[in-house]
Amino acid sequence: MDFVRNFPFFSILLPMISGPISSVMSGKRAKRLNFAVVTVSGLLSVAAFVYVLYTGEAYNYRMGAFPAPFGNEIRVGLLETMMASFFCFVMLLSIVGGYRFTVVDIPAEKQNLFYIMMNLLLSSLLALIYTNDMFTGYVFIEINTIAACGLIMIRGWGRNLLAATKYMIMSLLGSGLVLISLSILYGITGHLLMEPMHEAIVQIIEQRTYSEPLTVAVGLFCVGIAIKSALFPFHSWLPDAYGYSTCASSAILSSLVSKGYIFLLIKFFYRVIGMDIIHTIQVDDVLFVFGIAGMVFGSISAIQQTDVSRMIAFSSVAQIGYIYMGFGLNTEAGMIASIFHILAHAAGKSMLFISLNSLSDGTWEYANYRKLRGSAYRHRIASLGFAIGSLSMVGIPLLAGFTSKVYYAKAAFGVGSSPKMLIALVALAISTILNAMYFIGQLINIYTPIVTEPEPGTVKHSNVTRVAVFMFIAVNFVLGMGSEPVFRWIQTGLAQFM
Amino acid sequence: MIGAWLIPVTVLVPLLGAILLMTPAYRRSVRSVRVVTGAFVTATCLLVVGVAMLGEKEIELFELLPDIPVFFRSDKTAVWFAVLTVAMWMTSTLFSFEYMNHEKRETRYCIFSLLALAALMGVCFSGNLVTTYLFYEMMTLATFPLVMHEQTKESISAGITYLYYSLAGAFLGLIGVFFLYSFAEERSVTGGVISYAAGGFIRSDLSSNESLALTIAVFFMLIGLGSKVGMYPLHGWLPKAHPVAPAPASALLSGNITKMGILFVIRVVFFSVGPDFLRGTWAQYALLGLALLTVFLGSMLAFREKVFKKRLAYSTVSQTSYVLVGLYLLAPVAAMGAFLHVVFHSITKNLLFLVAGAIIYKTGRTKVAQMKGIGLIMPVTMICFTLGGLALVGIPPFSGFVSKWYLAAGALKTETGPMRFLVPVILIISALLTAGYLITMASDAFFVVEEHEGHEPEVKTGEGQESDAEKADEQESGEETFDVITADSAEKGKKEASPFMLIPLVVLAAGTLFFGLFPSLLTDWVTQILNSVF
Repeated sequence: MDFVRNFPFFSILLPMISGPISSVMSGKRAKRLNFAVVTVSGLLSVAAFVYVLYTGEAYNYRMGAFPAPFGNEIRVGLLETMMASFFCFVMLLSIVGGYRFTVVDIPAEKQNLFYIMMNLLLSSLLALIYTNDMFTGYVFIEINTIAACGLIMIRGWGRNLLAATKYMIMSLLGSGLVLISLSILYGITGHLLMEPMHEAIVQIIEQRTYSEPLTVAVGLFCVGIAIKSALFPFHSWLPDAYGYSTCASSAILSSLVSKGYIFLLIKFFYRVIGMDIIHTIQVDDVLFVFGIAGMVFGSISAIQQTDVSRMIAFSSVAQIGYIYMGFGLNTEAGMIASIFHILAHAAGKSMLFISLNSLSDGTWEYANYRKLRGSAYRHRIASLGFAIGSLSMVGIPLLAGFTSKVYYAKAAFGVGSSPKMLIALVALAISTILNAMYFIGQLINIYTPIVTEPEPGTVKHSNVTRVAVFMFIAVNFVLGMGSEPVFRWIQTGLAQFM
Repeated sequence: MIGAWLIPVTVLVPLLGAILLMTPAYRRSVRSVRVVTGAFVTATCLLVVGVAMLGEKEIELFELLPDIPVFFRSDKTAVWFAVLTVAMWMTSTLFSFEYMNHEKRETRYCIFSLLALAALMGVCFSGNLVTTYLFYEMMTLATFPLVMHEQTKESISAGITYLYYSLAGAFLGLIGVFFLYSFAEERSVTGGVISYAAGGFIRSDLSSNESLALTIAVFFMLIGLGSKVGMYPLHGWLPKAHPVAPAPASALLSGNITKMGILFVIRVVFFSVGPDFLRGTWAQYALLGLALLTVFLGSMLAFREKVFKKRLAYSTVSQTSYVLVGLYLLAPVAAMGAFLHVVFHSITKNLLFLVAGAIIYKTGRTKVAQMKGIGLIMPVTMICFTLGGLALVGIPPFSGFVSKWYLAAGALKTETGPMRFLVPVILIISALLTAGYLITMASDAFFVVEEHEGHEPEVKTGEGQESDAEKADEQESGEETFDVITADSAEKGKKEASPFMLIPLVVLAAGTLFFGLFPSLLTDWVTQILNSVF
């Protein structure tokens, strides 16, 4: 049974090794390998999840059993394994759902390149989730950036190259800030592993030495991650990157990549700095303000778009705002709401991208507002997916989005008598209305019956896509109606962080 | 136990009907669509009667959120609204079979009508705030396609307006729900989960700050829920959205969907916060004031409105706020009036909208001015209209009189300062206005001014050109012009509606009279509800 303890490590290593192997394979084989790897990694993560759930405690795993200064550690807890399993699942569905478009969008000789990037992305995401070492975290941030960059530009259009360049510049700025922050932290604590760092930081706070460098380091780290996860106002790279990539890329980028960074930030808050210290240096207030701004302005920008894929991309900015708002509340309930929202958003947004691509046949010309009119009648399953996704984003009961909004509202009440409560509630209300404005408007648009034009017909609708959309719909309903166990797992997982 | 399972089945059955209609096999012919719709509405009707006869049962389906289950309970209030809903749905569905001949996409209409019925059943039988909210949102989503059914620019913009007002209102309601939950009594007292309790479930030991916060929250919540009811200031969508829907849908929107807003208000005021908490607070007076203002504004605007269906929609704005006035007085007698007016207004407004539909279907006339003499060609329809009009004004022995009597008498018995005199005064002014906009129509419909040749009104020079220009304008804007109906032309062509349309009209008209004569059939039931609340 204890053999399961190795599984998380395998699930990181497996995609990392299969990445280079894919480079000598044909596109088709690379696809099969990738499919197998994602599935196996997912199963390994699930096994680890069940193990942790069964034993009831988290453990640190030393690679090669070397102690701290030389070796490297990952930490396996309930929250980590849950996230890893969910990420693998969403990734699998996205790749499957977007497969038809991957074939069309990417030149045959570059197909295997796409799967190399996917494997690396998975590996780095899992590493970001599991890592117990801040520097390893940084290394995988970089790997993640490069893989994501590849996924953005692999379609090879001018727009993609531009988007990838933008993304590269902004992301490198972000990871640069993270690196500086880590050097400062290393300088003042002398450690890179999370637990000793935390102990050192507690001492620093007690002795009141180095409190300014500490504040600066935390600030830099937050800004770095904020840039990489597209928190308003650092979101300028996002709409192009998400909006114009190939289907699977958009789905995975929007639902997983930014969430990997955010998960690292959560671990940084809980395990390195400590939430009480975050409160003392008032980082939470800053994040709260930017989160609220993101919720509102992201939606306002989304309303202005005529290109629907950009609209969905801008809606991500708003959703990221929700997540940071939850951090800003700085309560357990707020954090739980944010983690739940990571799941809800991942399930909803990737489905929206896949459905939209099916409706528009994967071309950005047809993603235009006018061209999409009546498209629901061309592809009923995809339009159903789009409808469910939109309604979930708006926050209609029974769907995941509603549940996370309820958690947010509860969390806002938990803050007690502070202006944050009122601000959060008002922002939730405004954001809901704004979401409804563009998502419901779009729904009406695609369901408007018109005399159907001849179909663009570059991509055949496949049953695989349908299955993927169905699975996503199911996930949305499950998260919306049966959130109770998930809620408890998140709670236990957070408790294990302390 | 089996009895309790009947409650979710009432939601499930119309839902299944809608799903059945979505499958290609059942949408081949108009006939099969109608059979399926009729069968499922009837089945729901029977189920509701079954639930009503079994008495109060409750059932917890599953936990939507931690400690917040989807929870149904068939208490007397729920049954009151559910029976009303299915009865109105029956008549309106019957009417729609004929009426929808002149609209396109009948299948879609039937699907959304069934979905809306499912959602309404959910709202009626829900036993806690979150379940009500859940189905309340579903109801909005299921009904806005009915508003935009005709897909004209006007109807789509009306549909979207409706959607935004409703979502905004419901979200205000949701915020209130959170407040109510956080001030609820301890778990041990309520027995596990929080559900509706007659007289409210709020902790009795609130500090002054907490009770202020709760008052503010409930105030805004009730304003938000007022959007569905059409209470000022969130009434703007109603006169826009109700008239553009197909007539049977307008009837249900005005007659029943607004009542679900009222049910939610009842659930909040009487079953969550409790009337004692609100009595005498500024919130009560503010809400009363707003409701009274709406009563007056609505009838005033209806009086000035030229388009028939819009006039009826404004009338709804005013009449549903009668109910709110009755509720916000927070006294047993006035609440009795409110409960009765829910039923009476629902019957009457369904009747009036169906009459409007029958006229549009048969003659295409939409404006009040074109209705002169219409009674000569559609006598039965217009007699039904007249009865409905009399009931809405509140002339004995029609039903409206009973409810207004209770409202006015109830207001005078309360201790709400100047409000208790203001309420009867506004009610009477509004009744006069109602008579002005409905009874005049009825008399014009039957008593045509005989115009002999040579007696045409003289036209002054100068103004004549203007009226020509106006006529040209009218024609340019594409409006049809109709001949004035005279006794002679009426002889030639009777255009009475067909039995499918007439039966619902006659049944509803008989209903207004019947309940006006024998209100005690209903008052006993309401007395039981009110005894538990106050």
